[in-house]
Amino acid sequence: MLQGIALANPDTLKYVPEYNLIMRADAPNEQKVSIMQGSGSGHEPAHVMIVGKGMLDAACPGDVFSAPPMDYVLETTKLVNSPKGVLHIINNYTGDRMAFDMGREMAEAEGIVIATVIVDDDVAVKDSTWTVGRRGVAGNFFVIKSVGAASEQGTELADLVALGERVNSVTRSMGMALTSCTPPAKGSPLFELGDNEMEMGVGIHGEPGRKREALASANEIVDELVEAVASDLPFKKGDDVALMVNGLGGTPISELYLVYGRAHAQLAARGITVRRNYVGEYCTSLDMAGCSITLVRLDDELTALLDAPAQIPNRIF
Amino acid sequence: MAQPGFDGIELVVHAMAQTSVDNETYFSDLDAVVGDGDFGYSLARGFEIVIATWDDIDRTDAATFLRKVAAIITSRVGGTSGPLWGTAFMRAGAVVAGSERIGADQAVAMLRAAIGGVKERGQSDVGDKTLLDALVPAVDELERAVDDGSDAAAAVGNAAATSCAAAEGTSSMLAKRGRAAYTGERSIGSPDAGAIGVAVMFETVARLWPQSQR
Repeated sequence: MLQGIALANPDTLKYVPEYNLIMRADAPNEQKVSIMQGSGSGHEPAHVMIVGKGMLDAACPGDVFSAPPMDYVLETTKLVNSPKGVLHIINNYTGDRMAFDMGREMAEAEGIVIATVIVDDDVAVKDSTWTVGRRGVAGNFFVIKSVGAASEQGTELADLVALGERVNSVTRSMGMALTSCTPPAKGSPLFELGDNEMEMGVGIHGEPGRKREALASANEIVDELVEAVASDLPFKKGDDVALMVNGLGGTPISELYLVYGRAHAQLAARGITVRRNYVGEYCTSLDMAGCSITLVRLDDELTALLDAPAQIPNRIF
Repeated sequence: MAQPGFDGIELVVHAMAQTSVDNETYFSDLDAVVGDGDFGYSLARGFEIVIATWDDIDRTDAATFLRKVAAIITSRVGGTSGPLWGTAFMRAGAVVAGSERIGADQAVAMLRAAIGGVKERGQSDVGDKTLLDALVPAVDELERAVDDGSDAAAAVGNAAATSCAAAEGTSSMLAKRGRAAYTGERSIGSPDAGAIGVAVMFETVARLWPQSQR
């Protein structure tokens, strides 16, 4: 896969097979902080297909649904090290945090300046002492887009961290699955989901979510997702938002727009205005049928950063 | 040249590696019940390199050997397994740096150090439904048997039996770590993949041990 991406973008991207890495061919850029991600594979276009000017400088994914080995994190950090430092953006999962903790420790021992932003936008799973906290899912896109745009403007590392954390703090998501997904190595669905069932609050690695429910209509599903997401921040009457309807990989775009229409109406009924929209596949779960909804509370600064141009292999906005 | 007792370490590490490779599908299937199904795959990718490069791993002494195995693991094993199992090997190796011989006492010390590494890296403890729930009881039993003067084969056999029972026992536990933890009550009813992995490795070691020179 990574070889294909590199072949399709010979002038702008570089593939480093030893570390399963896709990086900008012109990285590191001494005028900016280098930004890298490294979750599991299986969520494409996240993250190897959003490497490019205005977004990520590098992505070093692990195997399907696995955080990368810490060596990938360490070596990638070294490869993109810039005088302005390196920013690690990670989704909040145990494996991702461990790999980046260990990789960061080893890279800092070599004198590299690193900061970290953790994304935990998923509202589905209760934030309890039993987990590392909420999961990072499709909202990761907005953190990367904002921080990527700001880094192109020369923003310093500490300010990028503050920005990333701010975007994360006003972003909320929840997803649902109509089918399971089939990891290539396994060759069969990761879990059983009956024809008449759906999984609300599904995770993006095939992990079950909040609740197994009987299949409902699209409107009922969207209403439940919007209510869960909107009520969590909470998003209030008068808020301006970005709305993302993210396909999990197995749902046709026609259905995603159906979802969008209902979500838009539901938000309007709450007095919430959608200023920017993103409909398509941003953070998938292989071939899972289903979708997630993400809301971001916007202000002028965030809107400008989302609107800033970017050049990535997968044009999704 | 490696110190007396080094061949015991080789037996254990090779048994762990072979077990992981042989059970890739089984371990992944266990992990798929409430997790994301990557445990077997992740572990096998690292341990197959250990097997493939077996003859070339630096055997200056036990500490070096274990450190090199740790490096192989962390270079290729992702998910949580890479950091956890890599740290386990690193800590075990550190504890026998400078040891003149590797005997029962060193074995227990290495395993205790590995446990400490996993607890620290994973911010976990017995009762969280992890590999620790099979490993700690097994090492407790091993230490007890060693203190009682049991011969090595018997001690290892007892530890293996303990780890198997403990691993099966994780089925009734609520997961508090890893991806299974997100599923809350639904994590009850199936065993923890890491715990089963540890138990099967112990069983393999126990099966092979009496056949060795020891």
